[in-house]
Amino acid sequence: MCTVFVVSLITFAAFYVIPGDPARVILGPDASEGQLDALRAEMGLDRPLTTQYFDWISGAMRADLGRSLTFRQPVSRLIAQKLPVTLSIAAMSLFLTVIVSFPLGIAASGRPGKFLDQFLSVLGHVLFAFPPFVLALLMTLFLGLTLKLFVAGEYISYTESIPGFIASLFYPSVAVAIPKIAISQKFVRASVIAEKEKDYVRTAKSHGLSDIQVMRRHIVPNSLVPIITVLSILASEILGGILVVEMVFNIPGISRLLITSINTRDFPLTEGIVLYLAVMTVVVYFIADILHSLIDPRIRLR
Amino acid sequence: MSAFLVFVFVAQSLSSCTAPFRQKSRAPEGGCIYGGEVVIGITQEPGLFDPHNAVAAGDDEILFNIFEGLVKCTPSGELEPALATGYTISEDAMTYTFTIRSGVVFHNGEMLTPEDVVYSIARAAGLDTDTPLISELSGIRAVEVIGDSEVRILLDAPDAELLPFLTVAIIPRSVADINDTPIGTGPFKFSSYRVCESVVLLRNNEYWQTGIPYLDKVTFKITADMNTAFMQLRSGSIDIFPYLEPEKADQLRSDFQIISGESNLIHVFALNNRESPFNIPKVREAMNYAVDRTELIRLLMNGEGTPIFSGMSPAMGAYYNESLDGYFSYDLEKAKALLAEAGFPEGFEATVTVPSNYQHHVNAATVIADQLSRAGITLKIESVDWATWLSRVYTDRDFQSTVIALTSEFTPRDVLNRYVSDARNNFIGYENPEYDRVFQMIGNEPDENIRIEQYRQLQELLAEDSASVFFEDPRNIVAVSNALSGYEVYPIYVQDMSLVHYN
Repeated sequence: MCTVFVVSLITFAAFYVIPGDPARVILGPDASEGQLDALRAEMGLDRPLTTQYFDWISGAMRADLGRSLTFRQPVSRLIAQKLPVTLSIAAMSLFLTVIVSFPLGIAASGRPGKFLDQFLSVLGHVLFAFPPFVLALLMTLFLGLTLKLFVAGEYISYTESIPGFIASLFYPSVAVAIPKIAISQKFVRASVIAEKEKDYVRTAKSHGLSDIQVMRRHIVPNSLVPIITVLSILASEILGGILVVEMVFNIPGISRLLITSINTRDFPLTEGIVLYLAVMTVVVYFIADILHSLIDPRIRLR
Repeated sequence: MSAFLVFVFVAQSLSSCTAPFRQKSRAPEGGCIYGGEVVIGITQEPGLFDPHNAVAAGDDEILFNIFEGLVKCTPSGELEPALATGYTISEDAMTYTFTIRSGVVFHNGEMLTPEDVVYSIARAAGLDTDTPLISELSGIRAVEVIGDSEVRILLDAPDAELLPFLTVAIIPRSVADINDTPIGTGPFKFSSYRVCESVVLLRNNEYWQTGIPYLDKVTFKITADMNTAFMQLRSGSIDIFPYLEPEKADQLRSDFQIISGESNLIHVFALNNRESPFNIPKVREAMNYAVDRTELIRLLMNGEGTPIFSGMSPAMGAYYNESLDGYFSYDLEKAKALLAEAGFPEGFEATVTVPSNYQHHVNAATVIADQLSRAGITLKIESVDWATWLSRVYTDRDFQSTVIALTSEFTPRDVLNRYVSDARNNFIGYENPEYDRVFQMIGNEPDENIRIEQYRQLQELLAEDSASVFFEDPRNIVAVSNALSGYEVYPIYVQDMSLVHYN
């Protein structure tokens, strides 16, 4: 709760410092004084920003995020419209990260130092070095424009068609997931190797369990604990990655909304989105803690 | 809008006092297909749907299809009848009387009445609130219904140039929140708006002009920037895209028709007349000689622009002072000599503050900085975001120089008003008592020909004083899918979808 409050305060401070008048941005350079005044009065922009902030924060306490200055709609309605898009990309990239990096990591751990391990290690380093937006641009260029695997910039809303929606988010999710796969794969490998060297593995083997059984029943569950921690960090990083990727793929998600709101100095909207993102990050860590306790009974939530 | 022809028309009608509109038939010629959907790409988020409040160019673009006024602009910049069938202007130019078209239906099914017209004009002119929403209408004293089908507009002072502003949208009295439920009489009706995604318009089957529109559905697709829009054009998910960069247009020629027209924009390297060193007229003059307009237009627009030397575009026709063409020629020696006279033999250092969201202006600043460096001037480029530009440069005038395009204006008065000393949008801080005096005279001048002379004189003053470096009217280049016909480029910032149809 404290984290979230600090984040909203920092956003307010940023707005306090940067120049810009939302009424002017909305109405443009040709606006008359009458139009500007009418809009300022309507939106409450004639009050000092500090007052606006306190009004906003006291509203936020009562779960009322106010109205967007630019779009004249409740902030919560706008976020509700865009959040499914961003969360879908996040979920899809996290899913891709897990289903690709686990097999890769385990495969690499099979024979450390051998060709497959080294190859994956080098590939991992290279892919990790690619920021999502570069991948997004490259994918648009090669897969979209040259190979025509998808229509660049095409976005199908979930209100129109769910499969179309998922298809239009697939490549963006891949762009976000690739660097995460690269890093997660290394953690899986390291964690599995560390577990392999533990005494209980030798004991299990001496009980006559096969390598695969040992891997499935003992090593993987035990190595999950550190991996979940890494994944929860990755999950919050994924949100950051989506921010830019959404712009490149022209996906109208929460980050397009965030950037638009900053550009138009839409104070309540920016605050609202930042609040949501902060809450989401906190929630992700919280979920990671719960998962920990589920996997490792020794860790209990207090 | 370059409404010059209309003004000539108005002037003639002043003596006769009755002017029935010439009704042009826009019935479909053979071979047009009805129906279909078109996606048009836009890069600006539409802020408002209230036509009396929406003045940002990006809003007008869309609203032109939803709302109409008593008169309407045509692609050639003339006015044609819309919701009025005719009008008279009194001898003293203080009373305008309009005959309202009968049988016009709003998108919500209500009939258009003279009361709606009165309501709309009173609202836009701020008759009840004292703050006009549209400042050009502030001269209106009263609006009233006469008889069954006439509306009379009474002015505070004579004004023969009011007609172009009566393109102001007529909205139904019954709709309380027009921004939430945009209801007009235009060829298309508002269907939905999804923030950052699209604005969808549907065909108005009850449209008063028979035969149009052709399309069933028009989607204004909002893209993050020009590059994304370009990719979508190439992949075919956008059919029409206006304000294209020339080099991008070249890459599209195989799949698109490239249509271009005068954009009636004033692209200007604006100098703050109140800030050192640009407060010295000789320095400003030197800038005008040091900037090579031909090269600039070639690099920026691939040559697709008209060099200008004062604050008006040739798109304004008769009002444009063509005798100023070539007023400044590129002359580095002269520029250096002028700088030396002004006390800067070694040149100087200055900052140009450009809005970073307009790549075109950033590019222009880069070229200008390079050209000025030849005259020994170091121009530092400072790029700021649009909101910062608006408040720091445009409102607070805290800048040395900037590059901006002044948008298409309705009338010569609108174009030149911003150089009057105390005009609130005179952000360059130009000040010349002679200019103010001539501008003042125009307001009271009933004779169109004299007004034309006066407007031309104002442009001359701007050039003589080197108010800024006015350098081009860039062409508006539009990519239109080969499957479509009927797209027209307007000299104002609108996208008219009513005549667009599939072949």
